[in-house]
Amino acid sequence: MVGISVGEQHFLKGGIAQDLRTDGRKRLTYRPISVETGVIPQANGSARVKIGGTDVIASVKAEIGRPSSLQPDKGKVSVFIDCSPTAEPTFGGRGGEELSSELALALQRCLLGGKSGAGAGINLSSLLIKEGKICWDLYIDGLVISSDGNLLDALGAAMKAALTNTAIPKVKVSAEVADDEQPEIDISDEEYQQFDTSSVPVIVTLTKVGAHYIVDATAEEESQMSSAVSISVNRVGHICGFTKRGGSGMDPSVILDMISVAKHMSETLMNKLDSEISAAEACEDDES
Amino acid sequence: MVMRKLELPLSQTQKVRFKRAIERLQSLSSTANSDASVIVTDSIPVNHDDAFLKGHGTSEVDGELLATVCGVVERVDKLVYVRTLRARYKPEVGDIVVGRVIEVSQKRWRVELNFAQDGVLMLSSMTNPDGEQRRRTSVDELNMRNIFVEHDVLCTEVRNIQQDGSLQLHARSEKYGKLEKGQLLKVDPYLIKRRKHHFHYVDTLGIDLILGCNGFIWVGEHVEVRDPMIIVDQKNDETVSSSTNNTLKDQSHTTLETRQCICRIGNAIRVLSNLGFTMDLEVIMETFNLSNSKNIDIYDMLGSEFHVVVTENEAERRRAKRRN
Repeated sequence: MVGISVGEQHFLKGGIAQDLRTDGRKRLTYRPISVETGVIPQANGSARVKIGGTDVIASVKAEIGRPSSLQPDKGKVSVFIDCSPTAEPTFGGRGGEELSSELALALQRCLLGGKSGAGAGINLSSLLIKEGKICWDLYIDGLVISSDGNLLDALGAAMKAALTNTAIPKVKVSAEVADDEQPEIDISDEEYQQFDTSSVPVIVTLTKVGAHYIVDATAEEESQMSSAVSISVNRVGHICGFTKRGGSGMDPSVILDMISVAKHMSETLMNKLDSEISAAEACEDDES
Repeated sequence: MVMRKLELPLSQTQKVRFKRAIERLQSLSSTANSDASVIVTDSIPVNHDDAFLKGHGTSEVDGELLATVCGVVERVDKLVYVRTLRARYKPEVGDIVVGRVIEVSQKRWRVELNFAQDGVLMLSSMTNPDGEQRRRTSVDELNMRNIFVEHDVLCTEVRNIQQDGSLQLHARSEKYGKLEKGQLLKVDPYLIKRRKHHFHYVDTLGIDLILGCNGFIWVGEHVEVRDPMIIVDQKNDETVSSSTNNTLKDQSHTTLETRQCICRIGNAIRVLSNLGFTMDLEVIMETFNLSNSKNIDIYDMLGSEFHVVVTENEAERRRAKRRN
């Protein structure tokens, strides 16, 4: 990431203070978002999301697995992010590991809720096939191809789109067996069920620069931030997850204000995303 | 003129208008030379009886002269070469370039120029803060950071091109130097043609516009050419380096009007870069005035509608120029 000079930093901060960012946006305006679904045909679901210069791909793969003994009535979901060196040369080798694990943790918190499964955006019970014995394991992978700020929002949007695009094959439990044996299952090749994503939240990141917050920061603006707060909000307006990054501390009243701004922004973002995703799905259906 | 694919969603009517405007532009740009455009492995028509020199982008295969790059065939006396359309920045002595300092080393600064190699600005090629013409001492070398630090944006001129290809820069006059209070934009170098003037001061808006030949464009608030004596006093009084930050903070922020003009010009440049049109002050100011007259919001300038409008306007402008 190229640093910027003191003069440019001053200009940037002045712009944010005056509600006119370097590309002419207001503080709470998103860059144009474009969504493409079905980009990885081998995966159960996939999507590519571009927000300005940021470009990410998310894919969902479903495999048969065993539910954990602590929660025998729920399936499992795991999130893994990879920052590719094509985005930044510093991501090569082990350079991108810290950022990848930070993003994966934030996404896990936002989409899956706590350890007990409470507050999850994804309904894990729908992944169950046979209680205690068989469930679907979802592996959600995110790949950052190009990074120009606001990675978390882009990854959250990509995962939402990928989950909407996911088709899990229907499974029939063919024979009833004794409790300690694994039942036989029949995985259908033709029938698929769509995943229910109406409750998957969107992530809105608010970056604090100086005394103001901006939404959808570019990489330059992020380099000047004092702190950033990412809030995932679902369609009903409930907060599903909350992450704070950045070195400086914030007054609690500021955090409450940021939460209300994020809730307001999430409505517009949710509507925009939903329309883009359905347009992308329609486009994909036309092509196939 | 090089066309490139617009990565913007266009509605059906916009697509039709855009296509029509592009066709008009292409018909206007056809010159005698357009027959000379070649792609790789095209045979270049040469009279083999006359002696000719094979230049860049050509190679002789089986008695025929073939092009090895896509471009336009140029002939200068006996030299036949192929000039590529989208090339990397090709420096010439006397070019004005805008660059960013990446390293402060012994008696020189290394500057990033959007080129294969970094440019080198020697301490001796930089005007002394005192304004005196004298030999640089070790004290001057230790105070290099007071002039330029890493990540500073500066405007310099190409002094000469060394044998290994690296550029030597110099900043001898007061016009050149550190650029603050603005934004740096990056476009493809072949969109900026060499002209007489690359520094432009738009006095109606109070904005400096510097079109670097290397593709870096600086748009910022106008700064009066400073008297070097005053700066030296300020810097000598402070002992801590954070003083520079303080002086900037004490200065007021750019006014909203100037900032709006800077952002509008910046977006005009971005639009022209997306469309692949060559840039000079005239084209940029026309796009700026167009956006103002149509009352388009600054951020909407990056939308598909304005791109189509600019293309149509450019077609009109070139046709009007042709008639004159």
